[in-house]
Amino acid sequence: MLKAFSTAATGMTGQQMMVDVIANNLANINTTGFKRSQINFQDLLYVKMSQAGAEVASGINSPTGLEIGSGVRASATVKVFTVGELDNTGRPLDIAIYGDGFLQVTMPNGDIRYTRDGALQVNANGQLVNTAGYSIEPAITLPTDAVAVDIGKDGTVNVTDVGGTTSVVGTLQLVRFPNPAGLSNEGDNLFSETEASGTAVTGTPGENGFGAIQSSMLERSNVQMVTELVNLITAQRAYEINARAIRAGDEMLRTATTIGR
Amino acid sequence: MEPTTQVSASIDALTRELEIITHNLANASTAGFKRRCNAFSKALDAQQGTAETYEPGNIDLESAFDFSQGSLVQTGRNLDFALMGNGLFVVETPEGPLYTRNGTFQTNQNGQIVDSMGRTVAGEAGPITVPVSVGLAQLQVSADGRVTAGDINIGKLQVVDFQENQSKLVPAGANCFVMPDKDIRPEPADNVVIKQGYQEASNVMIVDELVDMIMVTRLYEANMRYVSAQSETSSSIMGVAMG
Repeated sequence: MLKAFSTAATGMTGQQMMVDVIANNLANINTTGFKRSQINFQDLLYVKMSQAGAEVASGINSPTGLEIGSGVRASATVKVFTVGELDNTGRPLDIAIYGDGFLQVTMPNGDIRYTRDGALQVNANGQLVNTAGYSIEPAITLPTDAVAVDIGKDGTVNVTDVGGTTSVVGTLQLVRFPNPAGLSNEGDNLFSETEASGTAVTGTPGENGFGAIQSSMLERSNVQMVTELVNLITAQRAYEINARAIRAGDEMLRTATTIGR
Repeated sequence: MEPTTQVSASIDALTRELEIITHNLANASTAGFKRRCNAFSKALDAQQGTAETYEPGNIDLESAFDFSQGSLVQTGRNLDFALMGNGLFVVETPEGPLYTRNGTFQTNQNGQIVDSMGRTVAGEAGPITVPVSVGLAQLQVSADGRVTAGDINIGKLQVVDFQENQSKLVPAGANCFVMPDKDIRPEPADNVVIKQGYQEASNVMIVDELVDMIMVTRLYEANMRYVSAQSETSSSIMGVAMG
């Protein structure tokens, strides 16, 4: 049968995956701290029919070979860690990381997860937690008599008590990875460390290339609607064209089967 | 050559032609992909006097790569690089170097710059490692390939050019080319600009491929008609001869 069928089918599968990735990006256009994914493709192996440089006559080498490719496959979906727009929310416990870095979150089983979502909350014990209620690492507890909270650029958490005295109750820390694109997506805006991401390096916000903390701000998703829509149109058309290639192959085979009738 | 043999040779060639077109179309979204020229564009070149020779019915029509520049697409990703002009990035493998126009790179767990298959991207003085003390957000690559992290110079991306030997490159899959002739050594590329935060889009023109595809289907049909007509003629001759 025609190899063209399977080749075009790989093209259709690839474009379909691209649409899936775009759909997820678009669905998260308003998710705090969301990082868009980018899908990368690579061509599949080639079937070698004649070798470039083979001798075709004495002293004459064929200038080019003949290799027929077998289509395409998605090689990776990578998270693009560019900074999203910062939105002023006016809520002192909303923080945005302006630059590199992740906040650490302790899961109920003790595992550490990483997030860029800085919509912090306070639980019943006065501890700083994320929106799902998991505590922020290092643990910071606000005193019960605190009337105002202020988080500085370097991550220090200052509270003012009823008497008007200000004191530091803790410092937020950030972590960074040699390969952030290698982090595994855990959903709920959380990432976890993998072999590929490398080991987390801890640091103080605003120092050594770590982003500074901006309080009363939230980092929006870095999804750009127009870019995604343009990609969507491209993917859709490319899908159609690949389907058209299958139809062309089908027509050719139909002609072939009518020989001698 | 017997007319029927010639027709069947051209049917073979047309089938292969469709396979090349579908492969091009399947890679319409592959960054850094270079399309294969097919016989039609070659035949056209021959008519315009730009190619050496073109013999109709020649089944060994070879398809060279079209190394023309693809358009640049902005991604904003620090490790996406597009090449403008003639040149290829070098990827190190145990079997020797591979060459690619796809500059969608990553870092591995040690901070080394690698391609999407995890193979090391060559720098002019060995692999380039982004120090852990500096974030990827501060990685800057200049137009000539010098890589700086923060204020530290950490290496220079190797970009090479095969010049007139470029057509001897053979595809190795996964966006890479290999040079089968070990005696041909590439020169450092000098007419090339590296753009950080961009990908070079595939240079497949969907409309051109579509037009070629329609041509192939119709020519295939015409060739098949000829075979049918031949078989009818010969059967009627047989009919006359046998009474």
